[in-house]
Amino acid sequence: MKLPPLLRRRILVELLASLLLALVFIGLRAYLHNPSRGLPYRDSFARGNADEWKALGGTWELVNGTMRNDSDERGAKLLMGSPYWRNYSIESDIYLLGINGDAGLIIRSGDEEEGVNAYSGYYAGVRTLDSAFVLGRAEHGWMEINKQSHGPSGIRPAQWYHLKLLAYDCQIVAAVTSPSQAAPTSLSFADSDCIHSGRIGLRSYSSGGIWRNVVVRPATHQNLVEMLESARGQGEPRPSNPATEDSEFLGFQPLLDQEQARAHSNASAQNIESLRLASFAKPVTATVQGVVILTAPRLFVQDSTGGVYVPQPKATHLKVGDEVEVTGEVHPGDFSSTMEHATVQVLWARAPMPPVSVTASQASTGKFDATFIEVQGRLKGKEHGPDNTLILDLDEGPQSFRAILNPGRSDYLFGKLKLNSSLRLRGICVVDAEFTKNLTPFVLLLRSNEDLEVLAGPPWWSTGHVVVIVVASLLLALIVNFVYHRIAHWRLQGVLEERQRLAHEMHDTLAQSFAGIGFQLQAIRNRVLPEENPAVLQQLDLASSLVRHSHEEARRSIAMLRPESLESGDILSALDICARRMVEGGSVQVVSEREGDQRSLPLHIANTLYFVGQEAVANAVRHAQPTILTIRLKYSGNLVSLKIEDNGAGFVQGNGLLGFGIRGMRRRAQSISATFQLQSTPGEGTRIEIEAPLPPRVTFSTWPKLFWKYAMEHWINARPTRYSDSHSYRG
Amino acid sequence: MPDQQDTPIRILIVDDHPVVLAGLTSMLDTQAGIEVAGSASSGEEALEMLRGRPADLLLLDLRMPGMSGIDTLHALKRAKISVRVIILTSFETDEDIYRAVQAGAQGYLLKDAPQSDMIDAIKAVHAGKRYIPRQIAARLAERMMRTDLTAREVEVLQMLARGLTNKEIGGALDISANTVRNHVNSIIVKLEVSDRTEAATAAIHRGIIEINS
Repeated sequence: MKLPPLLRRRILVELLASLLLALVFIGLRAYLHNPSRGLPYRDSFARGNADEWKALGGTWELVNGTMRNDSDERGAKLLMGSPYWRNYSIESDIYLLGINGDAGLIIRSGDEEEGVNAYSGYYAGVRTLDSAFVLGRAEHGWMEINKQSHGPSGIRPAQWYHLKLLAYDCQIVAAVTSPSQAAPTSLSFADSDCIHSGRIGLRSYSSGGIWRNVVVRPATHQNLVEMLESARGQGEPRPSNPATEDSEFLGFQPLLDQEQARAHSNASAQNIESLRLASFAKPVTATVQGVVILTAPRLFVQDSTGGVYVPQPKATHLKVGDEVEVTGEVHPGDFSSTMEHATVQVLWARAPMPPVSVTASQASTGKFDATFIEVQGRLKGKEHGPDNTLILDLDEGPQSFRAILNPGRSDYLFGKLKLNSSLRLRGICVVDAEFTKNLTPFVLLLRSNEDLEVLAGPPWWSTGHVVVIVVASLLLALIVNFVYHRIAHWRLQGVLEERQRLAHEMHDTLAQSFAGIGFQLQAIRNRVLPEENPAVLQQLDLASSLVRHSHEEARRSIAMLRPESLESGDILSALDICARRMVEGGSVQVVSEREGDQRSLPLHIANTLYFVGQEAVANAVRHAQPTILTIRLKYSGNLVSLKIEDNGAGFVQGNGLLGFGIRGMRRRAQSISATFQLQSTPGEGTRIEIEAPLPPRVTFSTWPKLFWKYAMEHWINARPTRYSDSHSYRG
Repeated sequence: MPDQQDTPIRILIVDDHPVVLAGLTSMLDTQAGIEVAGSASSGEEALEMLRGRPADLLLLDLRMPGMSGIDTLHALKRAKISVRVIILTSFETDEDIYRAVQAGAQGYLLKDAPQSDMIDAIKAVHAGKRYIPRQIAARLAERMMRTDLTAREVEVLQMLARGLTNKEIGGALDISANTVRNHVNSIIVKLEVSDRTEAATAAIHRGIIEINS
């Protein structure tokens, strides 16, 4: 099969384009699915950046170049990496903040959700509860596979451990070392039906923890063997070296036993609300018991009656959710009290308090000063405050307020927040001018970026969006218009090509046959002697002229089918040229006139006008011997009319050749629902007029009207039409 | 011119349409002083016949498959066959007439011309005159005034109309794309059109080139 070169080329181009597209797609997929994309990885906690991490539970914050989770939530996770990572190792320094819990690393994690063991992957961690190093697999449920006690010193909080976890094929190896024991404690297992790939995670359970120096490297079989060997070659545990210095340095104090603590405290504690009854003049010392709701930048403690601010506490390490007892000097403020020179003692850890849901107006009264609240607001502005804090300006109805976010992991979220979004925020309500700068009635101190929830993005009708939409729809309209015209052009091109082909066809068959038959008739006529058979001669003459006329008509059709008849723009100039050619050298004056606004005509109408016009012009020039021939094309509203007038001999309508031609014109006029008029007075001239209705013009200004008309005709008037039908039946 | 009366004008008719051939032969055979020496249905056949037995005059169709009328005229010139030629066609573009006359045709007739015109034309051309009908002569004059395209430009136009790019045309003609661009520009100026597409369509309409699909 031989295809035309243009088509072949188009097919080739399309093939190439789809091939290219497929290649790009495959390349992109290969890149995204690459099992070592982004490896090796080293955290940038020290630079205060952790945008790539995603938290599920917990209060993950960057503190002094480490990643810290203060919450005792069971199963808080912080995740990172590509779900296609396969063979790699992760290592990190880990520091446990509490007893009774564990902290560690996840490898090949996937399908994570918020919840205790809501992920699938392998986890290795250090656990204080039974002083063990554990390794297991989570599949939305925990399967502990291996555990081993870590040397004689065991696992204790407030000490740095170095943990390494490696996954190669279905082999999982984990090792932990500590300052007190340089020789690693190792665990390994071969999982027959293993998880093949996944990302990494930091995880803690019932205890806070600190992570630093997180490194992920691709692993080879060699790495696996080395790690397994070093596990086998574990030496004798060295004598332990209690890390007391470390814990003192970090201000860690062992927690009191809960029962003991309760007994110890209950006696003198009063509720926080009552602190405000204290004298302004003479500071008194009081003791309150409450839950830590915020530690940085300020320490706030809250009980069921209210909150209190504790500046510069003499305190051990505190975390949100700790039940504490505060003893200090009471300074009542306008809305809440301050306890100065206070000693804070941790009684026990408990779950963080739920916030009180209030409106911004309620919060602005000051009633909720120093308490943990939840409010909603619309984001009006964002800026960077002092000490790298991030400030959000919000309002709820007429009430405006601010929220202050700690830097670090919030940077990314901060960048993503869009103005005019609707947010739900949880934080400590503070009316202190130090934070409010007297600009807003209160400020919300957020604990972490998990305290911020985007309820709804900005409304779509913002000025920017509207402009974008308008511009986009304009562009779209332009594109549609362009495509429409392209298609129309192609269609026209196709039609023109087909017409050209038809013209060729007619030229080669019809026209040639007419010519041949004409010659043949002439030959016969030449042999008939006039005196012998005058009747036959006459008939032959008529036949000859009929053939000639048909030949001429065929030629005219061919001319009409040729593109130049249409592309010259309008029929008037085409007819003008045609007429001038016919009268060339004669004394006939051709006058062409146009009235009304020229518009493009549908092909069939243009054809008919052209055909009838040609015939009329030919008749006039050939039979009427006029001195003036006028061609007038008139556009008026939805009508186009062509008038051809001569001042020649005129004629009486008969059945001869002329009648033959006129019937042809009339028939053609009828085919386009045009009216056809012929007036001829012998001696005065002939006028032929054809008037054709045009389809309504669709433009920007007329389409609503057309649409309305169409709607009226097709939908609204549907019933009346039926009524009239029934009337006519009755009649 | 008594000798012309005595020896009839020997005519060879070249047309690919059998109906035309038959009709013309019958008609001209009835005319005194004209003898149809033969008919050919293609330019090649006509050349062959003329080599064997020269004729006085050729009635030549323009559009024929294979060798066109113009090609035949050129071939005659190349073969140094001296014969007078009247182009007999049923449809004419300005360019057809122009090229036929350029190629050495002495007469130009439309197939629907009356018999008397045809006889006049044959006699006039045979007598060494030219015969071109009045209205056609006017158009020919008009066409003569228009700037002529060079052979190279016609070649470029030919490829342009097939949708080739400048680079492809350059590759096919062994010239640089810039040269092609210059050719295209001069074509656009000569044809008085606004762009290459229009140049291609105009060229097809005026019959400067033909697209054989």
